[in-house]
Amino acid sequence: MTKTITSISTPLGKGAISIVRMSGKDCLNIAKKVFSCNAFIDNNIQPRFLYLGNFKLEDNLFEKCLCVYFKAPNSYTGEDMIEFQVHGGSVITQKVLDVLLNNGGGLAEPGEFSKRAFENGKITLDEAEAIVDEINAESESELKASLNVADGKLKIKIKELQNSLTEEIASIEATLDYPEEDFEKSAKEAIVKKLHSISSQISEFLKASENARYIQKGINIAIVGAPNVGKSSILNALVGNERAIVTDIAGTTRDIIEEQTLFKGLKYNFIDTAGIRNQTCDQVEKIGIEKSRKSIDSADIVLFVLDASRELQSEDTEILELVKNKNFITIVNKIDKKRVLQPQPNEIKVSALQEKDIDKIKEVIYNKVIAEELDFSNIIVTNERQIAILKNCKNIISQALESIEASMDILAMQIKSLWNELGKITGESENERIIDLIFSKFCLGK
Amino acid sequence: MKEFDAIVIGAGHAGCEAALALARTGNKTLLLTLSLDAVAFLACNPSIGGTAKGQLVSEVDALGGEMGVNIDKTMLQIRMLNSGKGPAVQSLRAQADKIEYHNEMKKTLENTPNLYLRQGEVIDIICDEVTEEKIVKTAVGIEYKAKAVVLATGVYLKSRIIIGDYTKDVGPNGFSNAQMLSDSLKRLGIKLLRFKTGTPARVNSRSIDFSQLEIQEGEKDIQSFSFITDEKDKKELDQTPCYLTYTNLKTHQIIKDNLDKAPVFSGLIKGVGPRYCPSIETKIVRFADKERHQLFLEPESVKTNEIYIQGFSTSMPVDVQEDMVHSLKGLENAEIMRDSYAIEYDCIEPTQLNPTLEIKGHKGLFFAGQINGTSGYEEAAGQGIIAGINANLYLKNQPQLVLKRSDGYIGVLIDDIVTKGTNEPYRMMTSRAEYRLLLRQDNADLRLTEVGKQVGLVDEKRYNIYLNKLKQIEEIKEKLAQRVKISDTVYAFYEQNGESVPKESVSIKDMLKRSNIDIFKVNELLKIFDGYSRDALREVNIMTKYEGYLNQQQEDIEKSLKNEKIKIPEDFDYFKYHGLRHEAAEKLAEIKPLNIGQASRVSGVSPADIAVLSVLVKKHLKEK
Repeated sequence: MTKTITSISTPLGKGAISIVRMSGKDCLNIAKKVFSCNAFIDNNIQPRFLYLGNFKLEDNLFEKCLCVYFKAPNSYTGEDMIEFQVHGGSVITQKVLDVLLNNGGGLAEPGEFSKRAFENGKITLDEAEAIVDEINAESESELKASLNVADGKLKIKIKELQNSLTEEIASIEATLDYPEEDFEKSAKEAIVKKLHSISSQISEFLKASENARYIQKGINIAIVGAPNVGKSSILNALVGNERAIVTDIAGTTRDIIEEQTLFKGLKYNFIDTAGIRNQTCDQVEKIGIEKSRKSIDSADIVLFVLDASRELQSEDTEILELVKNKNFITIVNKIDKKRVLQPQPNEIKVSALQEKDIDKIKEVIYNKVIAEELDFSNIIVTNERQIAILKNCKNIISQALESIEASMDILAMQIKSLWNELGKITGESENERIIDLIFSKFCLGK
Repeated sequence: MKEFDAIVIGAGHAGCEAALALARTGNKTLLLTLSLDAVAFLACNPSIGGTAKGQLVSEVDALGGEMGVNIDKTMLQIRMLNSGKGPAVQSLRAQADKIEYHNEMKKTLENTPNLYLRQGEVIDIICDEVTEEKIVKTAVGIEYKAKAVVLATGVYLKSRIIIGDYTKDVGPNGFSNAQMLSDSLKRLGIKLLRFKTGTPARVNSRSIDFSQLEIQEGEKDIQSFSFITDEKDKKELDQTPCYLTYTNLKTHQIIKDNLDKAPVFSGLIKGVGPRYCPSIETKIVRFADKERHQLFLEPESVKTNEIYIQGFSTSMPVDVQEDMVHSLKGLENAEIMRDSYAIEYDCIEPTQLNPTLEIKGHKGLFFAGQINGTSGYEEAAGQGIIAGINANLYLKNQPQLVLKRSDGYIGVLIDDIVTKGTNEPYRMMTSRAEYRLLLRQDNADLRLTEVGKQVGLVDEKRYNIYLNKLKQIEEIKEKLAQRVKISDTVYAFYEQNGESVPKESVSIKDMLKRSNIDIFKVNELLKIFDGYSRDALREVNIMTKYEGYLNQQQEDIEKSLKNEKIKIPEDFDYFKYHGLRHEAAEKLAEIKPLNIGQASRVSGVSPADIAVLSVLVKKHLKEK
């Protein structure tokens, strides 16, 4: 009995449409639960027909999308398959995936669709190596993502939870394996308390991760600098469109421009401010400058932009004065021109014009968010796999609490499976770790 | 040259099971031992069973082994551990009469057809890799030839005992050791480790003041370990008691004052000791804030006054040992009869073994027991019977037997040591078994009797007992659907048991699901299960009460079996295909797992490696 798997098959956050697909025996049943159109309601679904219908995201929230059904064995994997073609952008796509996971789908392992295709003889031997590459590439990219998270809050916090659980398990197991020893027995009340506390922390993580992924807030990043250092060009390069007006005349940006982009699941709200200049007669620009000061105050991170092709001006130092108490990143733009500016501490060199090293800015922002524990409404970075695991943990906890009156071996079994599940995030899964703790914590043996 | 089908080296708990399994399946078997007086010798605790170990004994028994039968003949006391903590962790533990245990096992060996018990020290094993014949040479110059050899040498390889600064190259209890065999193994390319263990002093019971001590008696209504021991035939146990005493601050002070003389700390002992069996000086140092440690006084035999002090093993000098013993309550005037000692010995790195217990690279050469880096009589017996079974299957050219982790503790034990290795003497614990709920002592026969039958070790008597239990279980299960009306007596029954009374009639199954009601109480009320055995009733009781959890574990097992079923061909080259990480390929090439499931448990191998591997294995098979 193989589980029905699902995953997002198109790159996240790019493109006008995204495809979320499922493979396995149950996929038609799952689709029927969440997708509605006439053919689905009449139970008259033809394979290889494209259906337009509504995908139920939440009780009163639907996504209009396309659905196609492939009947086994005439599909990529050789199993029953369903594909949903939904509007692009990570928010909707993630939500669609979540709904499928909540309705009985399991998250596909790296390369699993192709692996199944191979196992079912849909892919020839010659292509086997390609699948191996695919598995490796996908798990590597997942690993990379998790390495970032590793530095971050989630893994550290889950590790704490798992460790506290390890202690609990060690106590329980010690009493079970050494019934004749006279040490403090682990009390049920303490276990119940621990389970509740882990459950509520996981709920917080899940809420925070939803915030991170769906909610409008994101991280406010103000881009400041003297006029014409290239703030708007940087913004354009960062978000990849031409929203801000760019000219060579200083002071073109009179309004505050907000743009959003997604990076590794974090939402960045960029605020391009009017160039801050001390004396200006232009009334419009004055208002713009006032707004800029305000946006610096409300920003979580400030990008302080300097022009590589000129000396440090008094304007620059005054702006530096404004941002120096903020969490700021110095960006030296226009490195395509001859460097005149003296080196700045921790500077990031970019060329907005040539779009050179722009992603470095995103990376540095990301690391600041993660590493410096900035309080961005408790955003926690998670990927789909981690969310699926955390949800699973909650289920296990409620089962454990239901069976709290059962015997100790049952309770131990549930707690152990919770521990294993958390271990999928922390990478700690060796049973030996528990046994180590049993022996280091308790004095046992003949 | 004398020829046999199989030779077993060592007649401890592993060797006895291996030799009996071989002889009982029709092989002319030679069992060599350093001393006939050390056959099935209980060198440390005079007891069999305990948590997880009780399960192992039952599994050996279900497969048709001897340990359970032998302890039933020779026990002094028996108890069920963890009786209040759920069926998965309940285990029997019996005090053995160590003299009788040895005598009875020796008698069984001597009277088993095809089995030749012989004293002799093996000094060399020569393997002909072409004919697969092996020549076993003994110190006095006899040469034996056989195709299958099982090494079960226990702690006797280059063993050395340590008491204070006194050391001597001998085996346990002063038995002579095997000085030459380690080097022979090295010549076969086998990597050795050096481990350490120890045993406490024995004192004369006439010198102990038992009146000051807490008594621990056996349980009257339990009589046996083995599934085939008929309790009616057994004469009632006297249930010789054990006693409890504790270390105290004075004991701890004596130890602290003499730590410089303790070989564990002075560096004299180099072997790696087990954490679960620390010497008392290790306990005092590592758990400095503990004010007392519990000690059990266990009788060694009804034929001797010797008392074993469980929990008090030490390698301190004898004068310090004397002071330590005399500081204990009840033992102020105790006469020490044997000193406590630590023992170091050679064993093999167990990852060199296949899960069949055959060593990689030498067909027909099997290893079992403490030589594989494990500890404990029961762990040894479990490996012994598997090595014996597989040596027999090898001789008959039949597929080898590998017990899965979901089949039993024996499967867990062997999988652990051959896949992950061990850096201390490996002891079985229930926490090592992921399917603990299914691997119970009470159902070992249901799990393994068929296996034992297939390999030819389960005789008709045992098989019929098993079939009868199965039949009873089926009949009892059918009765669970019967509905019971809530009469006045049933009403009272629920109330007496502190359970809320159902409004309408209920099935017996519903009744059993209540936590304070079990099948025995139901039978007292309704008398519908009269005539069924206690074992069968208990089985159905557990199956019903834990139904949901058992199903859950069964599902987990089925998921894992998918990977266990994908065999990795023996000639699979981990370095041939691109895609497998080099680090993973190296680990896997060393362990040579039999299937994808085992490969996934090799340390340092990731889930992605396993996905890649399973594709590559399929490719390899299709190409062939």
